[in-house]
Amino acid sequence: MTTAIVEPTLTRQPWRGTGIGRQIVILTGRSLRALISDPKLVIFSVLQPLIMLLLFSQVFSSIAQTASFPAGVTYINYLMPAILITTGVGASLQSGIGLVTDMKNGVLARLRSLPLDSSSVLVARGLSDLIRTAIQLVILLTAAVVLFDFSPTGGLTGVLFAFLLALAVSWSLSWVFIAVGTWLRNAESMQSLGFLAMFPLMFASSAFVPLDGMPGWLRVIATVNPLTYAVDASRNLALAMPVGSGVVAALALAAGLTVVGIVTAVRGFKRPL
Amino acid sequence: MNDVMIEASNVSKTFDDVTALDGVDVRVPRGTVLGLLGHNGAGKTTLVNVLTTMLPPTSGTAKVAGFDVLRQGHEVRGRIGLTGQFAAVDEQLSGTDNLILIARLLGAGRREARVRAGELMDLFGLSDAAKRLAKTYSGGMRRRLDLAASLVGRPDVIFLDEPTTGLDPESRAGMWGIVEELIGDGTTVLLTTQYLEEADRLADAITVLSAGRVVASGTAAELKAQVGTRAVHVTLARPHDAPAAISSLERHGLHPVHDEPRAAVSTPVNASADIAVVVRAMDDVGVEVAELAFTEPSLDDVYLTLAKSKPAA
Repeated sequence: MTTAIVEPTLTRQPWRGTGIGRQIVILTGRSLRALISDPKLVIFSVLQPLIMLLLFSQVFSSIAQTASFPAGVTYINYLMPAILITTGVGASLQSGIGLVTDMKNGVLARLRSLPLDSSSVLVARGLSDLIRTAIQLVILLTAAVVLFDFSPTGGLTGVLFAFLLALAVSWSLSWVFIAVGTWLRNAESMQSLGFLAMFPLMFASSAFVPLDGMPGWLRVIATVNPLTYAVDASRNLALAMPVGSGVVAALALAAGLTVVGIVTAVRGFKRPL
Repeated sequence: MNDVMIEASNVSKTFDDVTALDGVDVRVPRGTVLGLLGHNGAGKTTLVNVLTTMLPPTSGTAKVAGFDVLRQGHEVRGRIGLTGQFAAVDEQLSGTDNLILIARLLGAGRREARVRAGELMDLFGLSDAAKRLAKTYSGGMRRRLDLAASLVGRPDVIFLDEPTTGLDPESRAGMWGIVEELIGDGTTVLLTTQYLEEADRLADAITVLSAGRVVASGTAAELKAQVGTRAVHVTLARPHDAPAAISSLERHGLHPVHDEPRAAVSTPVNASADIAVVVRAMDDVGVEVAELAFTEPSLDDVYLTLAKSKPAA
């Protein structure tokens, strides 16, 4: 036993740390392993948007008959590109909650005692959640095509672009929630805050009904709601409609949020636990 | 080679208006064990956090393994192992995978990491649970896994922050055994504890911390010499012999007291040679002795006298 604790088994060199690239790869793999060992996480995260898809496609389908609705578009084709975005937004909240959970259960305490770069833990969190969200969206899209006859005019290319846009939005908001998490450090508050922020944003937007059908005051809010830009952009891509500046605005906003989020998160992360 | 592995000079730490550490000096030579003894809130964990780069000190300097904790935190973290009061393990991973993760983050290759993890799981008696998720582990198993995690990189210095708090007696004994083997390997250890028995058994030197200040330091024997005295307790076979025993002891220059409920007489002594004097004193007057005991002051006495006393300025 004596030799085994101190004497290196295979190498004579002690281990003192590794480069930031490898740190990120290893830590991202660590977070993703939780998905394999506990696939419930993915199943539940897909279930919620699926239920929304089922409910809304039934409840709101008559909207497709109204004058303000784009002609010749079925409600499912209208709804699904928006669901991609709202699911991406919902998933981003989980990034912040995941980080806070790691803080609580001691994983972060262990990682902080190791010779790691402080940003690698955060970047790995963001990356693993991006991959998880991508898996979620692919399952959701498959279900929409198979179960709900989702067949947008933009075809595979349009859907692919909408999918990538949803990932960009999710990635940027992940950073916002990771940043909030490093400062707030409480999963319950994160959950309430996320819910409070997300619910009005989702409904006061073009996600489920066209803006023209809304009462005046709500239309004002929905017009300035950043989610509306993202939803419109996603929808235009999927439905092969003129894209215009919407995509640029959505991507610019996402890039801005990412930068602010990363800077704030790294600063917050350095605060003692 | 640096011979002082932990050196804190005049370290203070203030949280808002609470002073957690107030000018603490600590020196731990290579290969020795320092026991940091104190109540809850004495500042033990804060000192560990400063030395392990988790918290910046408000003032003062500290070096671990020759590196400054403020300016060379990365180097320090590459040479230390930290086991806190709460097991820091990833519940979503198996025990082995927890250790592999750390080995890989420290720069080990896949194969090396797996070998090292297997080795440590064996050493800590966790092989049977190697593939189980850590969330299924008992408290004692988590602690062992946590300690194993802090040893993955074969650190030069190990910080054990109350490693046995909350463990059942059997797990505690097991933990002691593990720590003793680490010590045998020549690793430098800083151990915080509220248990006197633990510090007495494991530490080469003891520092008593109270309200953020060092109130005493030295070897267990030195601390014991500072407080309390040695004594000989004589339990009498016939309780009514007590007056005769007392007067005989006094004639031999000792200062006995009568412990009536226990039918005993006890007397402070200066050296163990005085035991012979006590035996002769009893023999002189024909007092029959049922039991004779020589007691050293316990670390409890040290703790009660020093940790509660006003800090020596």
